[in-house]
Parts: sequence; C-alpha cells; structure tokens
Amino acid sequence: MEQEIQQKGYAHPEALVTTQWVAEHLDDTENVRIVESDEDVLLYEVGHIPNAVKIDWVEDLNDPLIRDYLDPEHFARLMSEKGIGPDTKVVFYGDKNNWWATYALWVFQLFGHTNAVIMDGGRKKWEEEGREMTQEVPSFPSKDYPVPTRDDSQIRAFKTDVEKHLEKVGRGGALIDVRSPGEYSGELLHMPDYPQEGALRGGHIPGAANVPWARAVRDDGTFKSADELREIYQGEAGLGQGDDVIAYCRIGERSSHTWFVLKYLLGYDQVRNYDGSWTEWGNAVRAPIER
Amino acid sequence: MSLDRRSRIEALIDHRENPRHKGVLPDADVVMPGGSPECGGSVLIYLKGGENGEIAGLSFTGEGDTISMGTTSILMDLVFEEGLTMGDILALDYDEFVERVGRDVIGSRTRNATMGLSTLKSAVRKYQNERLGAGA
Repeated sequence: MEQEIQQKGYAHPEALVTTQWVAEHLDDTENVRIVESDEDVLLYEVGHIPNAVKIDWVEDLNDPLIRDYLDPEHFARLMSEKGIGPDTKVVFYGDKNNWWATYALWVFQLFGHTNAVIMDGGRKKWEEEGREMTQEVPSFPSKDYPVPTRDDSQIRAFKTDVEKHLEKVGRGGALIDVRSPGEYSGELLHMPDYPQEGALRGGHIPGAANVPWARAVRDDGTFKSADELREIYQGEAGLGQGDDVIAYCRIGERSSHTWFVLKYLLGYDQVRNYDGSWTEWGNAVRAPIER
Repeated sequence: MSLDRRSRIEALIDHRENPRHKGVLPDADVVMPGGSPECGGSVLIYLKGGENGEIAGLSFTGEGDTISMGTTSILMDLVFEEGLTMGDILALDYDEFVERVGRDVIGSRTRNATMGLSTLKSAVRKYQNERLGAGA
C-alpha cells in the first residue's frame, strides 16, 4: 500500500492510487487500463497520460434514448473495445477533481467491475507534476468480456427509494445535497436572465444537508484526509457513522464523487447515488421541496 | 474546403487557448449571462449596438470547457469577419452553427456548443427590447 495514501487514514485506501503508481504502471497494459473521463470532452485530445483510453460519460455510458445507463451488452462491448477484461484493473482519472472519473467508476460498479480505482489528484496533479502527456491514441487487442448483470439496487437510488428514505432522515438515514449553496437554497433558479437548467422548482429535498461535492478535495486535487472529511460530513453536516445515505445533485454526476468519498474513504456501507437528482425531483408533481 | 476532424478539434483548442474578443467591454449596452458554472461553463456577452442594427462592439468573458469557450470565440470571429447585424445574429441557425464548428467533434454536446450563440441572441433581444421600450 502506498504510504502517501495510507497515511490519510481511509477506510478503503485500496480505492486510490497515486500519480507515481500510475507512472510506474504505464506499460503494464495487460493488467492495467488507464481511463480518462472528463467533463471537458476534448481534453483527452489536447493530451493525456500515455496508454490511457478515453471514456465519455455521455457517448459511452448513457443510453442514447432512454434516461438510463448503457445495458449489459453494450457495457461488455465497450470493455472489449477498450481492451478491458473482467480482471483488468481500471484506473480512472479526469478533470474537475476527478468528478467524472468517480462517475465512470460508479457506473462500472453497477456492472460489478469492482477492480477499479481513482488516481488521487486526477489530471490536474499529473499535469502540475510535469509528467508525460501524449496525443497518441493507443490501440489494444480486444478482450473477451462476458455480458455482466447490472445491479442497480446497492449503489443507485430511484425517486421511489428517496421517497421511502425521507422517513429515515435523522433516524439512521441521511440525504446529502452536493450542489452549490445557491442551488440548494433555490436562489439560482431566481437569478434574472439565467437559464432554468431543466428544473421548474428551486430548493432541495426535505431534510437534506448541503455539502458541496468539491469540499472533499484539496487545492492540488487530491482528496482530504479521513479526519478532515469526517469533520465536514459528520461534524458539520451531522452524518452519523453507519447512516444509510443517499447523495444527489443535478443529474447524479457530482454526487457520484460524494458517493465515492463516503463509501471508500469514510467506509459507509450503505451509500446510494440518486442520479435522477434535481432534474427529476425539481420537476416532479407534488414532490416535497424545502427552501 | 472541409476540414478533417483533427483540424476541427485543433481549431476549437486554439480558440480556447487564444480566445478572440475576450474581455470586458466597458461601454457595453447589454451584459448578458448564460450557461452554468457547474455544467459546461458560463459566459457573459458584452454587446454595444450601432446604427441600423449593426454591431458596434462585442466581447465575452467566461470559464468553461473547450467546446463552450472555443465555440464562443469562433462565434465572435464570425460576427466580426462577416459583419453580421443584429438581425443576422437572430437569424443564425443553431444546427448550421454546429455544422460549421463540426458536428463530429461536438457530438451530443450541442448545448455547450451553442451556449455562446444562445446568450448572444438573448443579448440582442434585450438590446432591442430596451431600445423599443425607450422609444415608445
């Protein structure tokens, strides 16, 4: 275990690797696949880590028609195309403090690909350390990837799950709204001349605590230590150790980052990401809202 | 002559890294916000009107991804190089603009790619509404 990760006191330090670890495994392409997943979809073309492949959260991970993720057959095909086998260790990294990297990892987990980690610090740290970047797009032999079963029940929450969860909030259950304070209060929907961002109502789900997702990272893009994270999520937001937690944002991307933090860095066993999030809840007829 | 995909990507990256007409326009008649800082990017369009619906000044500020910032810079170039009037801007077709930038590069990010254009159109409408209101 890498000391730099170990000393931060996480519940599951094996969920992270350092930039140095990645630098030492660039050529281990038989066992390791480095995957860049960004918000800025053209950053990979600007330059990427040698031997890294790109996975686009929209084009690759979402169903093109239904609001849902890709089906198991398409996931297996995607893995095969990227040269990823069921046992390949997938290392995700990306821009925006690994926001989209954790999202991709979360989707991989829906399909049971648990041999997946995040490069602590993401693209920003790799670049700031002056490490090698390339525009060369690698090509790997396709691998057999049996069609998996997708299990949404453990780490994904639907609107009906959130409705049931409302009764548990404060009694062994918690809701975390990871959007900005302006979105949480509903203020942003009232800004003059501002687009509505796909929701008819502003505010938050009743009982939700507000912890903007990026509070979990330091200026260099790496995750804060377990002590620092506990101070934020338990000290400030009032999460109980062992709470059943649902995190949400606008479409479930920022909350995947908080899901990763709570599940792997702080060791919460029951954490789900509500990907319908505010674009569903804020538009739903008779859904209760607080401001 | 149509550019290939790589060239279109490089054009967007160049506009992102060397944005045209980026900065505050101090005597703008309209300052119009658009986009979202949390999703794709946000922009402020500065517009100054001239005689007969012409554009006397235009610039933008903002932060965002390569597509949203690159296309906004390309849009600024388009307005100045082709001498577009306010009427021309309102008539600009979103699909045609995406085709011009490169649909194969934009993919499904059409919202990011048209963030600058939709905000510029809003700025023009606001300018016209305020002028009509003032003249009434």
